[in-house]
Amino acid sequence: MAKLTKNDLHSLKAKYAASEKNWIKVGFSTCGIAAGAQKVYDVLCDEARKNNAEIEIKKCGCVGMCSAEPLVEVNVKGLPRVFYGKVDRETAIEIMEKHVCGNLLVNDRIYDVKVN
Amino acid sequence: MEKAALEQEVRQIADSWKGKDGNLIMVLHQIQNRYGYVPRNVSLVLSEILNVPLARIYEVITFYHFFRLTPPGKHTVSVCMGTACYLKGGPELLGELEHLLCVKPGESTKDGQFYLEVVRCLGCCGLAPVVKIGDKVYGGVKKKDISGIIAHYSKEAEAKAAA
Amino acid sequence: MAKTVFIKDTAITGKDRTRDFYGLFLGVLREKGLDTTIQLVRLADMGIYSAGIAVRVLPDNHLYTQVGESDIAGIVESIKTGQPYQPRLTKQASTQMRIVLRNCGVIDPEKIEDYIAHDGYHALARCLTELTPEQVIQEMKTSGLRGRGGAGFPTGMKWEFTRKSAGDQRYIICNGDEGDPGAYMDRSVLEGDPHSVIEGMAIGGYAIGASKGFFYIRAEYPLAIERIEKAIKQCHDNGLLGSNILGSQFSFDVEIRLGAGAFVCGEETALLASIEGKRGYPSPRPPFPSVKGLWGKPTCINNVETLANIPVILFKGGEWFSKIGTETSKGTKVFAVTGKVKRSGLVEVPMGTTIEDIVYGISGGAMSGKSVKAIQTGGPSGGVIPKDYFQTRVDYESLQKMGSIMGSGGMIVMDEDDCMIDIAKFYLGFCVDESCGKCAPCRIGGTQMLRLLEKISEGRGVPKDLEQLAMISRAMQKASLCGLGQTAPNPVLSTLNYYRAEYDAHVNDKKCPACKCSKLLSFLIRQDKCVKCGMCFKACPVGAISGNREKGYVIDQEKCIRCGQCFEVCKPAAVLRQ
Repeated sequence: MAKLTKNDLHSLKAKYAASEKNWIKVGFSTCGIAAGAQKVYDVLCDEARKNNAEIEIKKCGCVGMCSAEPLVEVNVKGLPRVFYGKVDRETAIEIMEKHVCGNLLVNDRIYDVKVN
Repeated sequence: MEKAALEQEVRQIADSWKGKDGNLIMVLHQIQNRYGYVPRNVSLVLSEILNVPLARIYEVITFYHFFRLTPPGKHTVSVCMGTACYLKGGPELLGELEHLLCVKPGESTKDGQFYLEVVRCLGCCGLAPVVKIGDKVYGGVKKKDISGIIAHYSKEAEAKAAA
Repeated sequence: MAKTVFIKDTAITGKDRTRDFYGLFLGVLREKGLDTTIQLVRLADMGIYSAGIAVRVLPDNHLYTQVGESDIAGIVESIKTGQPYQPRLTKQASTQMRIVLRNCGVIDPEKIEDYIAHDGYHALARCLTELTPEQVIQEMKTSGLRGRGGAGFPTGMKWEFTRKSAGDQRYIICNGDEGDPGAYMDRSVLEGDPHSVIEGMAIGGYAIGASKGFFYIRAEYPLAIERIEKAIKQCHDNGLLGSNILGSQFSFDVEIRLGAGAFVCGEETALLASIEGKRGYPSPRPPFPSVKGLWGKPTCINNVETLANIPVILFKGGEWFSKIGTETSKGTKVFAVTGKVKRSGLVEVPMGTTIEDIVYGISGGAMSGKSVKAIQTGGPSGGVIPKDYFQTRVDYESLQKMGSIMGSGGMIVMDEDDCMIDIAKFYLGFCVDESCGKCAPCRIGGTQMLRLLEKISEGRGVPKDLEQLAMISRAMQKASLCGLGQTAPNPVLSTLNYYRAEYDAHVNDKKCPACKCSKLLSFLIRQDKCVKCGMCFKACPVGAISGNREKGYVIDQEKCIRCGQCFEVCKPAAVLRQ
């Protein structure tokens, strides 16, 4: 990439802010990885493909709820943004089938709800 | 290893840092990454390459906990003894490991399979107590889990996996 | 957005009634024909504790606590109208405020575009194009930001001193040698938002007139190192590090240097020695690093959390930042709340938040069935704060008044099972291990104090030992060369101050009230409670328990090694530990 200028920063920001896709974020910090984030990420990617889900699966840093790792944040249009905690293979499959594809939040697995 | 071959290898590692101020610790890090410890003959070669007295190199190695002068076992078992892990049962895990592997911290097992060490906080306090084997971190470990975890890395298990 | 209702029983003790309540609520929704339009969800955690059954309605954002069965109809009605149901309406009291952690868990730390999209490098651009270095320093002074490494020195002043020191070359260093065991704020920031630290460093470099910066990171944090390495490379590719940054006249570059496991290297002068490739020996100050630092050049050392604050301050203005926090401590503080706490993790709160809010409000208090005894802040350099003082507001001065320090942000929660002598021994043992050995007060004083504590915890203590502990502490505080030795006695002094009775119990009665010091314990089988199951007999590793399933069992005190195995396995709690 070429060297950036101040104007480039503004246009880059505008470009990325415009995206309105549904997304899932998986916490990839030391504690998340130790708790099994990679496996969860792989399962989510597999399931998304199987279900033909229109969703972007991203990696991110640590949200701070370390005792509930692996953490997965899900943003689907029309539903509240939520954090699923202690996610295992089964929960990851449920998240994809119910939440992403069925617009139904998964019971007993949510550790925090984004309020604003 | 032949001295000439060793010298070339060490030179390769040291070259990327040559001429940079304060490079000794960084070079030692790379050497330990390569050999698992800092062998004496490597220190000797390094002393020539960097033009640093051997005593200076040993002064640094022995000051920092991270550097080792003896080869570690195949798998390094690190028991976290940060405050959170200490409160939540780190000492019991260490006791169990000592008992199971028949070694004290800083020692390797007779078959060279495991090296036991105590570390200062791996930064996974939310998962305390924590034990790390190689690069894999185990969180929320209980005393009764230890034997199962270790069995994973035993020679027999590895031979089975290879077959 | 369709309406969503979240339900959770937040009571800490007793049976979790979430499921039952969910059934009742769903019944009412069905009755009214609303179960298809309103989504009802059971939560695993709500971030609210000890408030009975809690119900949150989104997107209206109405929160109800202590909800009973009779309230359901009213809440359902209110969902339809969008007006809150007043009788149980609550406002969530303790909320976090994210400045340092603004991007952690939000952006992909390995993608620079993501950081830029979240206002990244905009502050640097503003500094380089609109502000002179002096103006940047002025802005920092206005903000009132103080160093987050522990001592709390005003960052703006530190920058000014460094800028005013004569020298052909100046350096800025990021201190990422997070040594406090049980704290990991810096690791999370380096891993989750590496670019914000680089941007903070570049702004600092511009302000003090440095063209070169160093990251000093613990070797125990491989992922943090990897992420910073990647971020630096991305900056080079995009012209955000190197020569003529963002098309300006300013050139700046950074390099990584690794620590090698030495706690003392968190101390400024020892850190400099370590970057220079030497033993991490501290040296006397003055001269301060701002005058004579790395290779004798003026050097400014800032902590990771401090640096992560800087882009926000320069983006939103020092004035904005100075409105957050207390009179003397501005902004927020990140704490790593760990230990015997329900929800351990990172918490970022405005300065001036009470300890109670952090421990109970945000972190949920003790693990089930226990009660919190105290917290410890500041790691091996800090002290304990008992539960009775949890109304204390966290800022630099009030924590110091309590005999502890802000430190880098470790907050260890301890419960009734934790012995204060054991804690003091743990921290002191750490300092003795980590003492570099250069000065006698720290090297000898620490070892002597540790011996005394060991003596006390093994039941060999005499009253004079406590006086001696206090005396050696004073000597270490006054005469040690660097911060490590000067603060090492703090955990002992603060526990001695608040928990004198516990020390006395060890010394005079030879008892450990928390049942932690094994040498002072004895185990007995209470024959009235024993069901003769033989579990203890099987569990005893040294064969100290004898008897059979008819006659019952007894423990031979001579053979007993006080490991507590019998106590743990006994289902009817017939093993007495005292």
